[in-house]
Formats: sequence, structure tokens, C-alpha cells
Amino acid sequence: MRFDDLVRQHAADLYRYAFWLARDRSQAEDIVQEALLRGWRAYPRLRAQAAAKSWLFSIVRNEYLRAVRSSSGEPESLEGLDPPDERASNPGLEMREALLSLPASYAEPLALQVLGGFSCAEIATMLGTSEGATMTRLTRARQALRRLVAPAKERKGGRS
Amino acid sequence: MNCLDYRRSLAAGDAETAGMKAHRLQCSACTALWREHAEFERELRAGLEVEVPPGFEQRLVNAVVFSRRRFLAAAGVAAAAAGVGAYVWLGRDGPIALACIEFVMKEEAKSIMMGAMPREAAEAALAGTLPLARIERIGQVKHVGPCPFNGANAYHVVLSVPQGKVTLLVMPEGTVSATQRADHDGLYASVVALRKGTLGVIGTDSAVVNSVAGALRT
Repeated sequence: MRFDDLVRQHAADLYRYAFWLARDRSQAEDIVQEALLRGWRAYPRLRAQAAAKSWLFSIVRNEYLRAVRSSSGEPESLEGLDPPDERASNPGLEMREALLSLPASYAEPLALQVLGGFSCAEIATMLGTSEGATMTRLTRARQALRRLVAPAKERKGGRS
Repeated sequence: MNCLDYRRSLAAGDAETAGMKAHRLQCSACTALWREHAEFERELRAGLEVEVPPGFEQRLVNAVVFSRRRFLAAAGVAAAAAGVGAYVWLGRDGPIALACIEFVMKEEAKSIMMGAMPREAAEAALAGTLPLARIERIGQVKHVGPCPFNGANAYHVVLSVPQGKVTLLVMPEGTVSATQRADHDGLYASVVALRKGTLGVIGTDSAVVNSVAGALRT
């Protein structure tokens, strides 16, 4: 598949993934563009064409980490990039808000699973962690979301 | 599979396997859980699917295409230096004309947002290269602003002519030995030498671009 076609096919989900890493729309756009500008030269050397999609997500992730490092000289992984946890102070959020309040270490595997359609094993490889740890993160992320969203649903239910 | 295994797999968001489905179909508690889970997953997907900016996909493809062009142009220059000739690499497109198209696609909006020059300043800036009054003879000037281009100072002019909008890049320090043209991604550019400096004209219609370039160079 031509690189342009690959980009067209996955542009929207790559943008969304970058958004859930950066939590900023314009930064997400820049990250995806920079990643793909670096990626097109390497693409002909990609041997496993079947892995092209996970490769695209990985280069977006690397570009995000590179951007964070160059702006702060800081973290090497997403573990240190968690935004403030708003669970205690903001009970009863809608799903989008609830997702925004999740730490990146929870939101990222969720985005890879739901948007990218990757399996636990694939996500584990991309994040450089074990399959078991990935399953745990995904489970905890969903549990946290349920806790956050439930009060909002109850309020809605009470109103109607 | 038992209820615990089923629930554990569901909780991690795994797709339902044949084994899981077989269990669900004979367990009312897990069926109820599966229904609730499916609804939650729909909400989760909707929450994650943030709106993609309009035109993002096309901008991305354009950026990749231009990057490739730049790479090939650089390779072409290297080939010329080696005596092979850049023409093979560059095809018909002139590098400055291609850069003009790239400016319109990637920088024009930003340049306009940076603000226009006051009329007096614009007149003074363009006087030695392409007087504003001469541009206004063929259309309505919508914007004049400074912009760095091709490693030198240039002026960005948005001109409305009866056939539509064209962009001018007035390069007081630019020199081209022959007219350059480029046709890429729905945009056409013509770069012509002025008595002093260089003019790039970019638009969607090659006839309009050539006509504007011809009118302004004389």
C-alpha cells in the first residue's frame, strides 16, 4: 500500500490517539504531521506491511515523547505524564470529561484498544509492557470510568 | 469458561470469543452484564472519538507529498552538482514555484493571521520591486504582509481579480534566470523575474495565474 493511502486510511484515528496523549488539539495535529513526515522515508524499509498500522501508531507515540522531551527535557515514558487526577474532586462526569480526567497511562491503552482496534498483546508490545499489565490497566481504566460516569447517569435518571 | 473468566475478559474490553459467547448464551447473569457492557463500550467509543479538524487528512497528505518533493528536489540539486542534471528529478516543476505552492498551503493562513501592513508601509515596501498601484490596476488588494520566504524577506499579497483569488509573493531579493512553473495538488504557480526582484503568482487556475504574472511583470 502506498504511504499516502495508509495516511488517508488512518489519519482520523492517529489524530484522536495523539489527542489522548497530548490532550490538546493543535498539539495533536502537529504531532501526527511531524511523525508522518519522519515516517514516510522509513516506510519503504518496513518489512511487515501487515504491521503498518501499529507502526504508524508507534511513530505518533514516539513523536509525542520526543515533543515532551524537547519542551521540558523530561520524561522517557508516559508514566510520568499523568495529568492531575480529578476523580476525587469531580464526581459524576460525562464520558468525554471522565476520559479527560483519566491519567495518560490509562487513557492511552484504551485509545489503542478502542480506536486502533489492537489486542492486549499488540498494545503490550507497543507500550513495552507485559500483556498482563496491559489487561490490568484496561480493566482499571474501565472501572474508573464507570465510577466517574455513574453519578452523572443517576442525576440524569433522577431528572427525567 | 465460567462466569469469572467471562467477566474478567469482558472487563478488559476483549472482543467476545466463541467460547465467551457460548457461556453467555447459557447464563442469564452474564447476558445482562454483556448488554450493559455493550452500552458502556458504545459510550466509551463515542467519548474517545474526538472531532477531527476539517481538512486534516488532506493537509496531512499534502505535507507528506511536499516533504517528498523537497527531498527529491534536494536529490536533484545534488545530481546537478554531480553533472547528472536536476531536470530528471524535478520534472517540470521549478523549486521556487513549488515552494510558492507550499507557502500557500502551509503558511498563508498563518501569515494573514499575523496581520496586514498599514497601507503606507506596504506602498513603501513594494515600491522598489512591484509598486502597489500597479497591482491595484488588475485587481483588489485584500492583504499585504511581510513573510520570510526561501531564506529571504518577501511580501505576501492576496489579490482578488475578476476570475478569483490569487496569491502574490513579491521577493525583492529573489532572482530567477528563467520563468519557473509548478502544478501541484490543485494549485498552480508561476515565478517570473521582475526588473528588480522576483514575483511568484499562485492560484488554482493556470490561465489566470499566467495572465496575472504576465500583466505584473511588464
